[in-house]
Amino acid sequence: MDLTYFIFLSSGLFLGWSLGANDAANVFGTAVGTKMVKFRTAALISSLFIIIGAVYAGEGASETLGKLGHINTLPGAFMVALAAALSIYWMVQSALPVSTSQAIVGAIIGWNLYSGKPTEVDLFFQIAGTWVICPILAGVIATIIYYIIKNIVRHSKIHLIRQDLYTRIGLVIAGAFGAYALGANNIANVMGVFVESAPFHEINIGNILHLDKTQVLFLIGGLAISLGVYTYSHRVINTVGDNLMHMSPMVAWIVVVSQGLVLFLFASQGLQHFLLSHNLPALPLVPVSSSQAVIGAIIGIGIAKGGRNINWSILGHIAVGWVLTPIIAALVCFISLFFLENVFNQIVYIP
Amino acid sequence: MFHIKVSLFARTKSLENKIDLFHDKLIDAAMTFKKAIHVFLTEKRGENYRKLSKQIKTIEHDADALRRDIENKLYIQNLIPDLRGDVLHLVENLDKIINKFDEVTYKFYIEQPDIPAEYHSRLIDLCEQVSDCAENMAIASRAFFRDFTTVRDYSQKVYFMEHETDLTSGRMLEAIFDSDLPLANKLQLDSLITEVADIADIAEDCVDELLIFTIKRDI
Repeated sequence: MDLTYFIFLSSGLFLGWSLGANDAANVFGTAVGTKMVKFRTAALISSLFIIIGAVYAGEGASETLGKLGHINTLPGAFMVALAAALSIYWMVQSALPVSTSQAIVGAIIGWNLYSGKPTEVDLFFQIAGTWVICPILAGVIATIIYYIIKNIVRHSKIHLIRQDLYTRIGLVIAGAFGAYALGANNIANVMGVFVESAPFHEINIGNILHLDKTQVLFLIGGLAISLGVYTYSHRVINTVGDNLMHMSPMVAWIVVVSQGLVLFLFASQGLQHFLLSHNLPALPLVPVSSSQAVIGAIIGIGIAKGGRNINWSILGHIAVGWVLTPIIAALVCFISLFFLENVFNQIVYIP
Repeated sequence: MFHIKVSLFARTKSLENKIDLFHDKLIDAAMTFKKAIHVFLTEKRGENYRKLSKQIKTIEHDADALRRDIENKLYIQNLIPDLRGDVLHLVENLDKIINKFDEVTYKFYIEQPDIPAEYHSRLIDLCEQVSDCAENMAIASRAFFRDFTTVRDYSQKVYFMEHETDLTSGRMLEAIFDSDLPLANKLQLDSLITEVADIADIAEDCVDELLIFTIKRDI
């Protein structure tokens, strides 16, 4: 394993860092923002569970991305990840809503177009469909949980102080689950394109820990995400906690659980196998946007509360993001691949 | 880990008990006040009244200590961050009612007003209404912590009793100023009756805020 690999992997690590900085706020932002959980606790738990989710459940969504674009060279993978990261950066700078999942899909399509490989249209529409389903599903789940919790709180006669304790415990558990689901679902965005060229060996530590080469790659990606959580997510968390909307800690818990469930539904191979084996419809394993799941959950609860104070224009912004992000990422990727191939003489694809 | 969990639950339980105890103090103060006025009207400033007055003073001291303890714990343990301000406000308002019971009882003790027998039954009515009002306030506040869907029912009782208090005190003052009592005596009784009725007014202000806090308490 040489240094060149890590130089090319750097774009994926950067993407992982930015995912950690931004998306950890979706998992613990409301809990930290409402001062129910300390940032240090939130950062430790989310980092740990993001890594566990990425290593042990990240392969499902990664395989789907692999089917969309079979990126077969390391410089190609580097540029796909970099194009996604640059698109995210530009869109954030332009105050446009952005999702890592949508950026990476766009960048992969850009690579497909550049390399002349066909894009599976059905698969693309299946993936794009999940972007629409994700916030809707989060909204539906959040609404159902909201009504259940509201009834429990109203009829259980739990003391306010005891309720506070249960909410804190719930936020930590839900945050851990949300972080696990985020790692499982979104590691594909960060490291999915590098799977093909991963030069790692299997790791065996006694009979306790066994990691194959993809899991080692995902472990590195998970560490990059964790670095993002520790170094930058605090600023984003403050924004989510203070500016998005006022939420009670219990509503914050519902949002985190809903988001975690949605990401888990789109990431769990075990659940997919279970549903298919019982002839039930299963969701495709696709990386989805945790930010949009959170927005969907908040809007769902907002509607359940009577539909007041909902900023409906945010839905329009999300729809713009669905279209703009993949297009920009594909364009950036296409142009960058041209430069990488012709100016830096790198092999960006094998025909 | 198990120890941390146990201590978390124990701490929570201890604070719940303190909040319950604080509400008990308000009910104790109201009941003792009612009894003290009965004693005052029959024995004036005798040994029994002195004991009851002292008892209310002790209740007031205990309530102050509990209030400080509750406030400290809420801040030090960073509990209920979204409702902490409301709970502190509520506890302070309830403490004001207890303080007022103590103040009025002491005023009777110091001033030893001369209350003609024809006003005794009305004064007893007034004090009972004020006590009921405070007791319902305590129950409404306790419900805020445990069963907030019933706060409205108890609040309604507080409003009703406060209104009754206004009527009773108004009728009493009217009768006193229509009587042949010396002006100094009339003014002294006016001041005392107004002070007693003030207890219900404080409870009413307290319940106004409690109803707002209850809306925020729902998820």
